[in-house]
Amino acid sequence: MRDVYVAGIGITSFTRLEFPLSEIAAYPVMMAIKDSSLGDIDHLYVANMGGGRVNHQTGLASAVVDTLSLTPSGAELIENGPASGGSAVKQGFMAVASGLCDIVAVTGAERMREVNNLEATDLVATLTHPIAEYIYGVTLPSLAGMFTRLYMDKYGVTERHLAMVAVKNQKHALSNEFAHIQQEITVEGILDSPEAMTNNPYVADPLRFFDCCPVSDGGAAVILTTRDVAESTGRPLVKLAGVGQASDTHCVHEREDPTDLLAVRRAATAAMEMAGISPSDVDVAELHDAFTILEIVESEEAGFFPKGEGHLALERGDTTLGGKLPINVSGGLKGRGHPVGATGVAQVYEIVHQLRGEAEGRQVDGARSGFTCNFGGFGNNVVCMALLRE
Amino acid sequence: MPREIYAYRCRRCGELHYPYRMVCKGCRENDHNEFDAEPLPRAGTLVTYTDLYALPAVFEVQKLSLGIVELSNGLRITGQLRIAEPRAGMKVRGEVEVVRNEMYDEYHGMVFYES
Repeated sequence: MRDVYVAGIGITSFTRLEFPLSEIAAYPVMMAIKDSSLGDIDHLYVANMGGGRVNHQTGLASAVVDTLSLTPSGAELIENGPASGGSAVKQGFMAVASGLCDIVAVTGAERMREVNNLEATDLVATLTHPIAEYIYGVTLPSLAGMFTRLYMDKYGVTERHLAMVAVKNQKHALSNEFAHIQQEITVEGILDSPEAMTNNPYVADPLRFFDCCPVSDGGAAVILTTRDVAESTGRPLVKLAGVGQASDTHCVHEREDPTDLLAVRRAATAAMEMAGISPSDVDVAELHDAFTILEIVESEEAGFFPKGEGHLALERGDTTLGGKLPINVSGGLKGRGHPVGATGVAQVYEIVHQLRGEAEGRQVDGARSGFTCNFGGFGNNVVCMALLRE
Repeated sequence: MPREIYAYRCRRCGELHYPYRMVCKGCRENDHNEFDAEPLPRAGTLVTYTDLYALPAVFEVQKLSLGIVELSNGLRITGQLRIAEPRAGMKVRGEVEVVRNEMYDEYHGMVFYES
């Protein structure tokens, strides 16, 4: 297997975008091509979840490869729920590592705001088991709510800890010009004040409005290539050193221990092992905080903190910019936004940006190794990556 | 005939599954139809629950009470709750009722009441 490097990155604003989905996917590739000066793309991977269902566009990759004038290069759509982005980057990694391709573009995009909130929620709910979960009205927030309740009972995580994640990530997002949410909030405002019940109503208790990431449109892209080609660009060398993936039971009720996210644990271990690092080596991480509880639990399952102590690290400020292991300095899903197909690629974008030392305003000083966790379904399909600056 | 919800027992190794899966989780050696269907027991313990306020469009109620129950045979199931004040560890009893109404279709599933 050859070593694989990230030579170019691009991203759109995550917000409401009134452009066709294919253009939302294409634009960051144009940016990444400019960033890397590498235009000779052998293959294009496109990550997207809802295109066929809410945007009326199937075969999305075929639309994107043409609008970019990258034909006749091959192109494929990767759909792996919220882990579509991570999976697409992994496919791109494999294409270059195997020797099949030399320069690959990977883009992830979503245009969920083309439909109303009910349809967007339903799109995501189709991830659940059709007979054992979906028919009951189970949505992803409800699965997260039930999981959170168990975690609170078992490990002493409180609503205050969840609010702290939201406050931290929205604060981080203020330094990210592409982030969806540009709003500073306080724990008092969303939890303690008399207005809290109106500002921050329950969505799936104990999860509240500010515990859930927004619905966003947006796209992100990376260019993956060999060491020689990456070196020729003259940009800092960032290696995609490890990828890992694992699955778990479809129904959340069938998980071995319903307070574990085993797929995160396995995927994270595999990615870091491939990269030759351990959790304590990681300087900066992008975790999948679709719900605030997930950032806390993923930080434990990835091995950064002992199981059941992620909320203590949060209290200590370890995971805030300036702390021992800053998590989601981009704003994460909560602050940066969550265009489902784009997120996994956007996480890699941020880590590369950090490892290059170019993340002005939110730079983690001296960051040499980074980690991403892209969480599909409700933890039944997880893709993790480890990146190293050379 | 009263409705039931079924678990699936592998004919080769006896492993019980809910919901159905094509390949037995225990032995991974069976053919997809080598299962015996057994009605799920109704008695269980509430594991976790939530009140969902952001509802799918088809539900014309303000909130939906959902939960995960561990049944007396060790299997867990997700269902709706009709319980005023749910508590983890509470003893519950399931009934098969209409859980979703979509235009011309009724979907049946497990609804749990306090025992």
